Amino acid sequence: METLKLDVRNQICPSTLLVALKEINIHQAALRHGTLALVVLSDNRDSTTRIAEAAENMGYAVTVDKEGAHYRLTIAGRSE
Amino acid sequence: MTYHAFLIAGFSLLLGLAAGVVMHRADFCIAGMFRDLFLTGVDGMQRSLLLMIAASMVLLEAGRLAGLFPAMQVLYKTPALTNLLGGILFGIGMVLAGGCVVGTLYKMGAGRFPSLLAFFGLLAGSVLYAEIHPVWMAWTDYLKLPVIGKTLPVHLGLATTPMIFGLAVILAVPLWRWLRTGAMVRPSVVSGYLQPWKAALLLALIGVAACGLLGSPMGITTSYAKMGSWIEQLFFPEHVAGLAYFQNETMMAVERFGGGPLSGGGGPRLDGVVVLQFPLIAGIVLGAAASAILLGEFRLSFRLPWRQALSAVLGGVAMGLASRLAPGCNVWHLLGGGPLLVTQSLLFILGLFPGAWLGARLFVNVVLR
Repeated sequence: METLKLDVRNQICPSTLLVALKEINIHQAALRHGTLALVVLSDNRDSTTRIAEAAENMGYAVTVDKEGAHYRLTIAGRSE
Repeated sequence: MTYHAFLIAGFSLLLGLAAGVVMHRADFCIAGMFRDLFLTGVDGMQRSLLLMIAASMVLLEAGRLAGLFPAMQVLYKTPALTNLLGGILFGIGMVLAGGCVVGTLYKMGAGRFPSLLAFFGLLAGSVLYAEIHPVWMAWTDYLKLPVIGKTLPVHLGLATTPMIFGLAVILAVPLWRWLRTGAMVRPSVVSGYLQPWKAALLLALIGVAACGLLGSPMGITTSYAKMGSWIEQLFFPEHVAGLAYFQNETMMAVERFGGGPLSGGGGPRLDGVVVLQFPLIAGIVLGAAASAILLGEFRLSFRLPWRQALSAVLGGVAMGLASRLAPGCNVWHLLGGGPLLVTQSLLFILGLFPGAWLGARLFVNVVLR
């Protein structure tokens, strides 16, 4: 599976969420077919929840991991 | 420094430290709560903001009735439509800056570069106000509301205490339902997360403690004018000395610990503002920094798209200017004046809604273009 990394650390909220949503929409076909995973790096504590909520509502699977001083969100198509 | 001033400065620092930790752990971003009403809708964050206001309302009135502090309404001015205009500009500024005046402080403490830029913008905006102060005061006089008194109960001819507790009962119905159904809980996996509804209650307690220990609700924006005037004085000392706003002294706090009421202003001198507000500012920054360091989340980075950098600075300028136009910031009005039913605070809060809507439009269509 290909991985696309999106680094939105240090940005003003809500650009963190909006930029992530824009990338999800651009790559929705590949994400749904399971050929692409979108990795979002964010240091905005609240946006980890907002991005995860929005992506899950759109039908994607989201995992959030702490990676040093920031969070790594992995967004991919659901396997079921 | 007198004994009573030392006590007040110490308590101010402690309250600031507590507020900094709480706001960082919950990411209690008031600017975001107003902005997201128009971008993503209502969720646990806005409900928690309402809880903070309702809890502050009850605690402030209970504290006054218990004799812990005298009425705080005396610190607020008479209402004018300029309070509404100040709220609108503040709403735009806080969205563009990515945080309100205390949001800027706790985010700056956690190492966020955009908030540092907004901080410098706040200083510039506050100094800018000094240039238009006489004109703005003339407009404020002209736009004063034809009402007697400073609070809504006085305007309506109602008793304050029953009105406050009546409103609290009305607000308690949805708040209790949201708490019971979990609608105020935010699902989060970040380290050391503090649920916003708990943060709301803690901030309400900190706000009422400020009234008891400092003799004033939490407020910080006169400090921005003072810091800005000190910097401006380095380059244009004669100009600063000639500006009426920098000569003004306004009451800052009611009497506490027998030392008399604290007073001060935005001018470049050591006065009550330094005792009351500077430690609070330092505390919020240090509290948030300590929280971020303990969680391993403190990281300095200066990488930022130029449009967002400009947005942070201009948002800060707008907030700095607005907090003098209003006068006061969102915390002064949301944690203090609003719960006390002070009319100028209610006008300011009303102005935050169209301001946040405009700010959100500008951010999405211009900054993120």
